[in-house]
Amino acid sequence: MLDINKKIDGTAMTVAVSGKLDSVTSADFEAAIKESIEPITDLTIDMDGLTYISSAGLRVLLSSQKIMNRQGSMKVVHVNDTVMEILDVTGFADILTIE
Amino acid sequence: MYNVTGKKTEDQVLIELSGRIDSNNSPEVEKKIDEILGGQTGLPVTVNAEGLEYISSAGLRVLLHLKKTNPSLTIKDVQPDVYEIFDMTGFTQMMTVEKAYKVISIEGCEEIGSGVNGSIYRIDSDNVVKVYKNANALDEIQHEREVAKIALILGIPTAISYDVVKVGDSYGSVFELLNASSFSNILATRPDRFDWCVNEYVRMLKRIHGTVVEEGKLPDMKQTVIKWVDFTGKYLPEEIGNKLRSMVEAVPQDMHMIHGDYHTKNLMLQGDEVLLIDMDTLAHGYPIFELASIYNAFIGFSEMDHEHVKRFQGFDFDTSCRFWKEFLRLYLGTDNEEVINSVANKARIVGYTRLIRMSIRRGGLDAPETLAEIENWKRELIELVETTDDLLFEKNEITVPAETDNWPKVLEFIESRMEAAECSPKVMMQVELAAEEIYVNIAHYAYAPGKGDATLRIETYGSPAEVTLTFMDKGTPFDPLKKDDPDVTLGASERDVGGLGIFMTKKVMDEVTYEYAEGHNILKMVKKT
Repeated sequence: MLDINKKIDGTAMTVAVSGKLDSVTSADFEAAIKESIEPITDLTIDMDGLTYISSAGLRVLLSSQKIMNRQGSMKVVHVNDTVMEILDVTGFADILTIE
Repeated sequence: MYNVTGKKTEDQVLIELSGRIDSNNSPEVEKKIDEILGGQTGLPVTVNAEGLEYISSAGLRVLLHLKKTNPSLTIKDVQPDVYEIFDMTGFTQMMTVEKAYKVISIEGCEEIGSGVNGSIYRIDSDNVVKVYKNANALDEIQHEREVAKIALILGIPTAISYDVVKVGDSYGSVFELLNASSFSNILATRPDRFDWCVNEYVRMLKRIHGTVVEEGKLPDMKQTVIKWVDFTGKYLPEEIGNKLRSMVEAVPQDMHMIHGDYHTKNLMLQGDEVLLIDMDTLAHGYPIFELASIYNAFIGFSEMDHEHVKRFQGFDFDTSCRFWKEFLRLYLGTDNEEVINSVANKARIVGYTRLIRMSIRRGGLDAPETLAEIENWKRELIELVETTDDLLFEKNEITVPAETDNWPKVLEFIESRMEAAECSPKVMMQVELAAEEIYVNIAHYAYAPGKGDATLRIETYGSPAEVTLTFMDKGTPFDPLKKDDPDVTLGASERDVGGLGIFMTKKVMDEVTYEYAEGHNILKMVKKT
């Protein structure tokens, strides 16, 4: 349902997710971020291949953004149209840095 | 004043008690009874208590003593006031005590309903009586009362009889039913109410079919159908009979309730409440068995003689056919003709099996008209059995323990239904999102800290399909739509994700409504095309 790929390079981390970010898979996504986030100052969420996001996924994005606001920066890349629509509707497009 | 008379024959004793029996006269009563018995013990004794006005505990002790010497004791024709004494003191549990039945006449009364086992007449503005066809219907009446009680406790609105009466040579049970009108009557007189009738009819049936019955409380419909197959099978080519039997045997065990005689004469509108009557056929089982009896009521019985339905239901055959089709469409939640026809054919298989048996048992083979009917049903049945592999169908709802882990199961169900209805990927994604948000909400909050089930029903009509989802749970009443929308303009640090799910649901769906009804939270949402 959800593929997670994590790359850490010093204080930069990229977490790539493809598939569906829903109430079942978000826990894995959250764990993948949380276990490595402490020393990170540059966080990139790569959504290439992500077709679906529900509020459970948004919750992880929000909490990650809150952490990164304190210790560095976060950006979201490769957002597809359907997911973008959800981010727009919920105001997340304004909170997140989307490239 | 009291009186004791009686006579003893070789194999039984009859005693008549009348007046008041209390501590003043109970020793004399006992003495007189002993005289009648003449020292004989063990004989069946019947006490006629028609004239008994009162009995005190001293009198009851006399009967208890009599019961000890002659265990086969029946007290019959007990007046209501006296019966209450027997009942309160627990005597009705210890010996057979039969009430005196009020005698009523149904001459000139309107017949408002009828079923396999009897007809229902209105006796005054508040009350109706169901008169049973079988002259020895007391057991049947008792059975119907018990099953009606079971249904009522499980939340099915029905009338329970409060009295048993004598009607001519038959027995009847009396119900309170105020200004009620049967759905058949509404269909016959108010064509403009057709859609309303079908909707309510389906709603009630879904409610019945969604009710789980405890093992052993109601008969298993599958066993009944196997009996029909055993009978009708003898009149069919052997391989057809065998295939029919194996198809019925392969129907899964199902503990959901089935009414068994669910036609529009048995659904009443009382004020604005819809009530079920005629509960004696209540059973549990797979719903195809119910659809079979519905097919018979609307079409099967009248296939050759279209006037039959008019005589029985009051509306014409055309209305009947339209009702059956629309009913099936709404019951299955699809207007996919292929799906509807396939389910209809499975229902017809069971339906014809029953009709053939019923007609043959009533001597149908002996008259040319009924013989032609039987031949017609047989022809249809054989053809259908040849072209059908099983009697199963896919319901348009799923019930799971409301836990987040079960979401994939629910998702798979709605995805397959939406794919079958050829919904666009975008519609599917949006419906999925709304469904997930609501489902997760139910899983987290509806039963907390306990556990319970969630049911999701999906309906897809039209092409491209409009999708309707209905979530039902029996948890704490909660209207999620009442929650204020979150402020989506706030920055990350002020934001909280709470309430976002419902907000997204409202955004992606076209209609979202909530009601609390019949002990359920019901959240319904529509995605238009």
